[in-house]
Amino acid sequence: MDYVPHDLETIRIMLEKIGVENLDDLYVDIPNNLKIKQLNLPEGLSESDLLKNLTELSEKNHIYNTSFLGAGSYYHYIPSLVDSIISQSQFFTAYTPYQAEISQGMLQSIYEYQSAISRLTEMDITNASMYDCASALAEAATMAFFVTKKKKILLIEGIHPEYIETVQTYCWGRSIETETIPLDELDNKLTDEIAGVLIQSPNFFGDIEDISQVAKKIRSKTKKCLLIQAMSDPTCLGKLNPPGKNDVDIFVAEGVGMHPSFGGPNLGILSVKKKYMRKMPGRLIGLTKELHGEKEGYVLTLQAREQHIRREKALSNICSNQALIMIASLVYLVSLGKTGLKNVAMQNFQKANHVKQALSQISGYKVLNTKPTYNEFIVKCPNINKLIKKCKDDNILPPLKLSHYFPDRKDEILICVTEMNSKEDINKFLQIAKEAAQ
Amino acid sequence: MTRKQLIFEKGYNALINNFTPEMDIKSIDFDTILPKSLQRNEEINLPDVPEFEIVRHYVNLAHKNYGVDSGIYPLGSCTMKYNPRINEVTARLSGFLKIHPLQEENDGAIELIYNLGQQLCEICGMDAFTLNPAAGAQGELTGILIIKKYFEIKGIKKDKIIVPDSAHGTNPATSAMAGFSIIEIKSDENGELPLDQLEFAMKGGDVAGLMLTNPNTVGVFDRNIDKITEIVHKYGGLCYYDGANLNPIMGIAKPGEMGFDIIHLNLHKTFSTPHGGGGPGAGPVGVKKDLINYLPCPQVIKNERGLACVENEGESIGRIRSFWGNFGVLVKAYTYILALGKNGIKNAAQNSVLNANYIRTQIKHKFTIPYDRINMHEFLVDANLPNGVNSEDVAKALLDRGIHAPTIYFPLIIHEAMLIEPTETENKRELDKFIEAMLEIYEEAEKNPEYLKKGPYNTEIGRLDATLAARKPCLRD
Repeated sequence: MDYVPHDLETIRIMLEKIGVENLDDLYVDIPNNLKIKQLNLPEGLSESDLLKNLTELSEKNHIYNTSFLGAGSYYHYIPSLVDSIISQSQFFTAYTPYQAEISQGMLQSIYEYQSAISRLTEMDITNASMYDCASALAEAATMAFFVTKKKKILLIEGIHPEYIETVQTYCWGRSIETETIPLDELDNKLTDEIAGVLIQSPNFFGDIEDISQVAKKIRSKTKKCLLIQAMSDPTCLGKLNPPGKNDVDIFVAEGVGMHPSFGGPNLGILSVKKKYMRKMPGRLIGLTKELHGEKEGYVLTLQAREQHIRREKALSNICSNQALIMIASLVYLVSLGKTGLKNVAMQNFQKANHVKQALSQISGYKVLNTKPTYNEFIVKCPNINKLIKKCKDDNILPPLKLSHYFPDRKDEILICVTEMNSKEDINKFLQIAKEAAQ
Repeated sequence: MTRKQLIFEKGYNALINNFTPEMDIKSIDFDTILPKSLQRNEEINLPDVPEFEIVRHYVNLAHKNYGVDSGIYPLGSCTMKYNPRINEVTARLSGFLKIHPLQEENDGAIELIYNLGQQLCEICGMDAFTLNPAAGAQGELTGILIIKKYFEIKGIKKDKIIVPDSAHGTNPATSAMAGFSIIEIKSDENGELPLDQLEFAMKGGDVAGLMLTNPNTVGVFDRNIDKITEIVHKYGGLCYYDGANLNPIMGIAKPGEMGFDIIHLNLHKTFSTPHGGGGPGAGPVGVKKDLINYLPCPQVIKNERGLACVENEGESIGRIRSFWGNFGVLVKAYTYILALGKNGIKNAAQNSVLNANYIRTQIKHKFTIPYDRINMHEFLVDANLPNGVNSEDVAKALLDRGIHAPTIYFPLIIHEAMLIEPTETENKRELDKFIEAMLEIYEEAEKNPEYLKKGPYNTEIGRLDATLAARKPCLRD
């Protein structure tokens, strides 16, 4: 099955019009020694066989009844209309909206996304999305370099380990120095040579940092240094003080409204203060007017920042982003609305903190967070392997063993509790924890 | 109001929808969970909109958008082929859609990543692939960082990358992201890379590599390709293949056998995964044996015990994003390759070339074709029409006829560039409709140019003022 519509007769007619005899004649420019005989791949499959094949493969992955795993990818309830809307074929089969007059649907959706995220975060400007939070954070670090012309970035401990590694990769590319430090050393490390401070809150371990205090520190000790906040699960903004109220210069986060899908696709949110608008990477959509009429409409704008115009002087090479996921995030946000977003955030706070309190009362377990937490927290366990095994036996996706990222932290777990965990799930998990301690 | 209503204007001030599970545990006093100073004080400025109104709002917006499903989408260098519906089904199988990237019971996902990597190796003639990059541009960055790492580990200082003047803008932008400066080489009158200039540039000794698209962005296959890669290798450089245009040669020739060391692909072009209005895509990167150690982490490898996931073992360029890339997109591309099989892949390639050349030969008596020989899957028109009608005017006139315009003003080497790529999935009727429209527009340019300069007229909205948008940016509501 190759989705080619022509029959042999049509091909013959077309070849005749071109003036060649057969399809192979179309490849006169390729040197013969480079032409291959045949690919070493199987024959094509019918759609029914494809579905069978892929279904069998998908079933080799286990789907759990419930999950206490987060660490950068979260299970939230996604309203059914989200998938229905991103399945509208004129959205998902379109390209980047270069021809504005026949792309107003996508363009207006992006404009609404830019608006919705800016409203949620209270930041001035949001772009049309980045690939994910990790690469968005890396691009934010690069942006700090472009804004300040300084070549050193400070990363505060507690940023997701995969984000840190991504930032390091991008910064190595541009020869920007990075240093990871604990928050309490920030005072000593802040100098006028620092381009930006990267901090995650709630951080990888669940801690909610007082970002406004960090901002004050940075402003008092440096002239130009940018404050960049990352966030893995922005559903917390339903109850948490938004970055725009904390003097954050650049905010990045993972998107909302998507299933985990083994880690992607999701999207990277990137929002900035207005003064950095012309230094931000990625697509931006703006409102404008007809040249020969009065109607208002949307176009790709401020393209002078981008690679197809600036080439090697561009801030980034990003072009395709995560547009369809952007629609999913937008529809998720408007479906829940201000009331629903508040409810989701509240439930995550309540349920996770309930489990946190309950676990701390089971002998052998010790909650290690000293700061407030959202839907994740870390716990020292009496018998981590028993706990993990028992969870799996009960069809529960267990919390993350911290040793996955930090080999020394062998008996600690990172637990995630969301609105998807019912009272029964929670009680079951607490019961397992109790049994595993014995 | 002269613009359409935004979703924010369709809301109410109370909860109407009910999506979230019931709160079934006893609440703790919120101030003890989160101090007041860290709480959000003001309501989120988003309305509560009833579900049905949201659906209607976005379905109406979707109807104002042109997709491949609406008609021919001949956007050069973008390969807008049909997006098979089975791909959408397989990517949504719950065993793929609902699995967590950090769960250990992931055999199916790991097997899919490995198998797809192997298929791409076979199609491209490479030895290993990473599927982590989220888009073509991120694939390019990965590839260029691999070049950087290769020379860094060898302790050789080389800080320049050669790109032809017909290159995608991402090539120079990417090179800069890895700290390389650019040597741009002007294409010759055949649209090919002049060997003497390439050799001259390489002789400088500071060139790390060449980035090349082949067939290139003027739509022709560079006949000197094996000589080109030989010259680059002679001076110790690496050859990077920009796979944006792989579609016409898959199953016919392999970039690896042309002498390329690194390649990135765009699964959302060649391998039928939808563009989604600008993503998500996927930009896998393939390398030859000597470069495998530099691939980004994590990777799936096969050893004596079966498949295994490996993290950074020292020489990797590191991580370029979180987890395993745009996995859902990988499922779609894998489904597509299985559907086509060895013969289907070749057939798709051949028919993409057939369709492009068919259009070229049917409009060349009117339109200027700067590189008028058998092209590959796309061809370039210099749309400098009579009476000053330009490429943009032609594009808008196509929109008026219900047809998506080709890529315009790219590549930069032709002033009124119009790059036409119909893809193999368009039928002859649709191609003929496009040809007819182009010829009609040409005639109109002769008779009534002023009309064309102010179009389009039949679209949702008229030609928009891009200058105003940039001068007074209004980027949100």
